[in-house]
Formats: sequence, C-alpha cells, structure tokens
Amino acid sequence: MNKEGTLYTVVFIFIVSFAFVFLLSMTNQATIERVRLNEEIARQSAVLSAMGVEATTVEEIREEFARIASDEEEGLFAGRIDGRTVYAKEMSGSGLWGGIFGFLAVTADIQTFVGIEIVDDNETPGLGGRINEPWFKEQFESQRIPDDGITVRAGEADPERGIVDGITGATATSNAMQSIINRTVEQFRSPEIRARLEELAAQLASGGEV
Amino acid sequence: MSDVDTRPGAILKNNLWTSNPIFMQVLGICSALAVTNLLTNTAIMTIGVTFVTGFSNLTVSLLKKFMPRKVRMMVQTLIIAFYVIIVDIVLKAYLPEISRNLGPYVGLIITNCIIMGRAEAFAQSNDPIPSLWDGVTSGLGYMGVLMVIAVFRELLGFGTLFGFQILPDAFVPWTIMVMPPSAFFLLGIIIWVGKAAMNREGAPA
Repeated sequence: MNKEGTLYTVVFIFIVSFAFVFLLSMTNQATIERVRLNEEIARQSAVLSAMGVEATTVEEIREEFARIASDEEEGLFAGRIDGRTVYAKEMSGSGLWGGIFGFLAVTADIQTFVGIEIVDDNETPGLGGRINEPWFKEQFESQRIPDDGITVRAGEADPERGIVDGITGATATSNAMQSIINRTVEQFRSPEIRARLEELAAQLASGGEV
Repeated sequence: MSDVDTRPGAILKNNLWTSNPIFMQVLGICSALAVTNLLTNTAIMTIGVTFVTGFSNLTVSLLKKFMPRKVRMMVQTLIIAFYVIIVDIVLKAYLPEISRNLGPYVGLIITNCIIMGRAEAFAQSNDPIPSLWDGVTSGLGYMGVLMVIAVFRELLGFGTLFGFQILPDAFVPWTIMVMPPSAFFLLGIIIWVGKAAMNREGAPA
C-alpha cells in the first residue's frame, strides 16, 4: 500500500485519532469521580470558610457541612455558628481578566459581614490575585455593612465608614470586588432570597431533614 | 540519516547548555513569562512540560515509520495534545490546588514551540530511546532556566521561596517582579550571561 496515498492517509489519521481519543476518554472516565469530588470539597470548604467555620481535612469539611442547611440550586446556605444564625450566598462577577467566583457570609439581619471566600479567579497572580490572601479576606470579618455598600480602596482602610483596604496596583480588581460584594448584599436583601434563607434557617432550628 | 550527535551525553549537553531551548533558541517563552512568579507553580509546570516533551518525542519516533509525510504535523499535534490533556486531568484529580493556580497554562503547553520543535527536529529522524532522552533533556533545559527566573521573581516579588518566608518582613517586595515584564528583563539577563559564558568557552555564539 502506498504510504503517501490518500486512502492510507485517511485510514492512518482515523486509526491514530481514534486510539488517542479512546485512551483519553478512558483516563477521563477513570478520574472523573475524583475530580468531581475535589470540586465539591473545594466548594463546601469555601462555604464553611466564609461562614467562619474551621475545617481542614476532608472528613471535617463533610461533617461540618452536613450541619448547615443548603439550597445548592440557588447557592444559598444557612448555618448556626456559635449560637447565631449565619447566611451565605454564592457571589460572582467579572474581575480584570475573567470571572471571580466565591461565597459571602453575613449575619441573619444582613447588617454585618461574617466573611468572604474566593473559589476561583483569574486575577494577576501577586496583584489582583492577592484577594485570596488572608489579610484581605479577614477585613470582612465582623465588618458592619453600610446602607450604601462597602468601599474597597487601597491604603484608606476605615472600618467605621465601611472602607476596607484594597490592593495597591490592582485597582480594577479592588473595584470588581467592591461591586461584586455590594451586588451580593443587595441580593441578600431581596425579599425572595431572604424568605428562602429564613426557610433554610427554620429547617436548622427544627432539626428537620435538609 | 541525521547529522545530529545522538550519544546520550552529547544530547544532554546540547539541550541543557549549547542549544538550550530557552536561552539559545528563545522558544517557549510565553509560558516562561506567565508561570515563573512562584517556584511551586514553575516546578509543576516544567515537570509537565518535561513529561510531555519526552513522551511525545517517544511516540512520534515510534509512529514515524507509519506516518504519511503530509499529515505528520497534524499527527504530532494530536500526540502532544494527548499528553497535555493527560497532564491536565492528572493535576485536576490529584493536585486540585495547583491545577487551580496554573489555570489555563497547562492547556497552553500544547502551543509550546519546544515540544513540536523537538518532535520535528529530532524524533522524526531518530530512534525512540534517544528521542525520549532528547525530549526529557529539552524539558530539563527549559526547567533549568525557568527555575532560575522563578527564584529571582519569587524572592524579590514576595520575599519567599517555595512559599517559605526568606527575606525579613522589613523587605519591601518589588511589585514589578510579580508582573510578566520582569521575566523579560530576567530572561534577557540570563541570555546575556549564558552567551558571555559560552563565548569564553570558545563556542561559536
């Protein structure tokens, strides 16, 4: 058979493509469950971390997460942490290079932040990417939420006036965080979401199945 | 068939030094700029590249007898993409944290010119075992330069190495080191130093 002929070429390409794609789907199939599990754990761990619950190992995360009421479809969560009710909600929006995705937790009266956690972002590593660093996230713990929203601005931190420290050299990311957080707070305050969160909290109180 | 010296020692020296893919051929520098601000990320990324270069070279060499010439580049790309996706899947399943940090750059290994360059220049005309060795050493040449860049960038940009604090707290990190342009400066300096050292050895520059 002529190696440079059309028929041989087509058959060759077909066999090679088939073989490699087949091997890839095998590998993918073999690890798909693990990948899904990793994503689920990362998500649960982020919700807990936003709510201020400490859990590091996979078992701890599973155990603690089982204690909070969740509506996965809406991305809403309610938990009783240290005797008070805490709500958490998915937050997302656009950053500088791509989407920012995470969770925001607030007290039941939606007057104070409990914490934030970032699950995924595409910000510049070392600049905008520093929104993942503890000092940035810790600023939100017990920060009062002003009526007109918080302000994220580098070098002007003033918790009294609802200004948290932003990131020098990453103004776009700081602004993005500000608008994502403020938008999520507004969503928290919308009647439907509040009602759903109160339902979740009621499930917690009654100890009913979640 | 080729005039390339295929003794293992010669390949090693060639790929690590005299025709190092980064600082002599200046190939694959997009990822050199993107992933070198943290040592851990750089290490994982370059191990991935080494793995892909090695095995795609091996596979290309094994298949070369059956490959019609006009589609050989298509097949090489297919093989490279195959190994890159394997690396991506393994990272997602076993090192999810690092997979998140590297983000799109793992997929972009496919476009790394070193890999296709070696497949075309070496594996296409040499036996499987030397090809594997050539791929691995090319990857190591890439790793060597990137790790040097990453040491400077992480140390000066964050004051840490592999995430451990090295410089005192009083040290003010150089923001520029975290940004891609600093990799250009460092790469330029490395090429300069490398060439100067080579000239001293008397090799043709």
